[in-house]
Amino acid sequence: MLDVHGLTGPAEHPFIRDVDLRVAHGDTVVVLGAIHSGKSLLIRHLLGLEAAARGTVAVDGASVDAARATDADWKRVRRRVGVVFESSALLRHITVIENVELPLVEHAGTGPDDARRAARALLHEVGVDVDDDAAPADLTRAEQRHVALARAVALEPRVVLLDEPTAGLDAHASHQLDDAVDRLQAARGFAVVVFSHDVRHAFRPAAEIAVMSDGRIIARGVRDELLASDDPVVHRLMHRRKEP
Amino acid sequence: MAFGAAYWLGWLLLGKRAGGSTALAREFDDLGVGALRLIGGASVLVGLIATFQLAFQLQHYGAESLSGRVIGWFAAREIGPLVVALIVVTRSASAIAGELAAMTATAEIDAMRAMGIDPVKYLVAPKLGALLVALPALTIVSDGLITFGGWIASTLFLRSDTLYYLGEVRSAFALRDFGIGLGKSVLFAGVIAVVAADEGLNTGRHVGAIGEATSRAVVFCLLGVLAADTFVNAVFYFIPGLAS
Repeated sequence: MLDVHGLTGPAEHPFIRDVDLRVAHGDTVVVLGAIHSGKSLLIRHLLGLEAAARGTVAVDGASVDAARATDADWKRVRRRVGVVFESSALLRHITVIENVELPLVEHAGTGPDDARRAARALLHEVGVDVDDDAAPADLTRAEQRHVALARAVALEPRVVLLDEPTAGLDAHASHQLDDAVDRLQAARGFAVVVFSHDVRHAFRPAAEIAVMSDGRIIARGVRDELLASDDPVVHRLMHRRKEP
Repeated sequence: MAFGAAYWLGWLLLGKRAGGSTALAREFDDLGVGALRLIGGASVLVGLIATFQLAFQLQHYGAESLSGRVIGWFAAREIGPLVVALIVVTRSASAIAGELAAMTATAEIDAMRAMGIDPVKYLVAPKLGALLVALPALTIVSDGLITFGGWIASTLFLRSDTLYYLGEVRSAFALRDFGIGLGKSVLFAGVIAVVAADEGLNTGRHVGAIGEATSRAVVFCLLGVLAADTFVNAVFYFIPGLAS
């Protein structure tokens, strides 16, 4: 589904180094790392938004050499990937419903009325109840994150990348968002990669965890394996919730 | 950027897809209509200032009544387009760069690229189109109001006769000069849209970058407009047959 091999970048001053990541159809992987460990930069590399030094990225049959790929090559990858950025990144100059419609109108060739209906259905599916014509800035952070999730899955992606999905959300809102992701994943079968510093994501059932530090994946495994790790970085991340 | 914006502007104008004309209208309202009062006030003041300065210089030759003639010629060809361009730079170049830089900082531009949507098409082309229409229209308004300011100065303060002033303006006014002024305003519109958008899109992904982008946009747009004006004037001065 998602197969990343030897990804290194940015091209001029690499920080991400030799990242290998493999996520199968319908699976969830949590990339766990502290702030500034390179998680968001890795997302940018996975989408071809940064020039990489080397490595390959393949999603559901669309494979690119990250250092040489053209924008057209990356578009084939991006078409198969949905992403929810930490800031939600809803476009400020259009309404909530237009944000969700945009990929449908642009890529699926959906007519305006059908796109509006599909966007409403997506918002309902992610469980957010907001005014269609509201400006993104008028929504709460949790609502913005849900709308961004609806937009990310609009084109039936094979992989969904979530960058710090619960950052800034209270426990209840975090739980609702996790539920929405699980529901969509079960219904649509996409793979999920959660990039987070929040160890609670590592406690999601059946999730494989890759621990990231200083731009590298330094450990991987399931929860219990990493909880038992004696690597100081892994230990600190995995036991963070026990700290005061 | 310039070619991309021009290409997508054609797509917006000629394409059958809904939304293009709405985006153009929204930008025209913001960048053009929104500047009307400011340009109106500034143009009247520039007409007053120019008339006082001209009358002061011409009075040594007993010819201060000829200031209307100079206003009639100079407003259409030089001052009108320049006043409009400089005010649009200070008002809108910073706004365009700030908006796009803020969208870069909050990952909205990344989200667009991740969805395979060209930010130049959706964000820059409508601004370019709006400015290409707004600047010539505002220049016509400005030409008229500079002449009006000159009339106020001539009749109220310099004791000139209204009919005499209008006759002087009419004798100096040439459609060719008016056309050159409008041509300059189209050129200025292109410079402002492309330079401001480029500064906004190619900036850092942090909040501090927004202020830097807006400052650079204003400075480079001002220099760009003045350089373009100098170039046009040099062409008309040095190429035989064009000057008159």
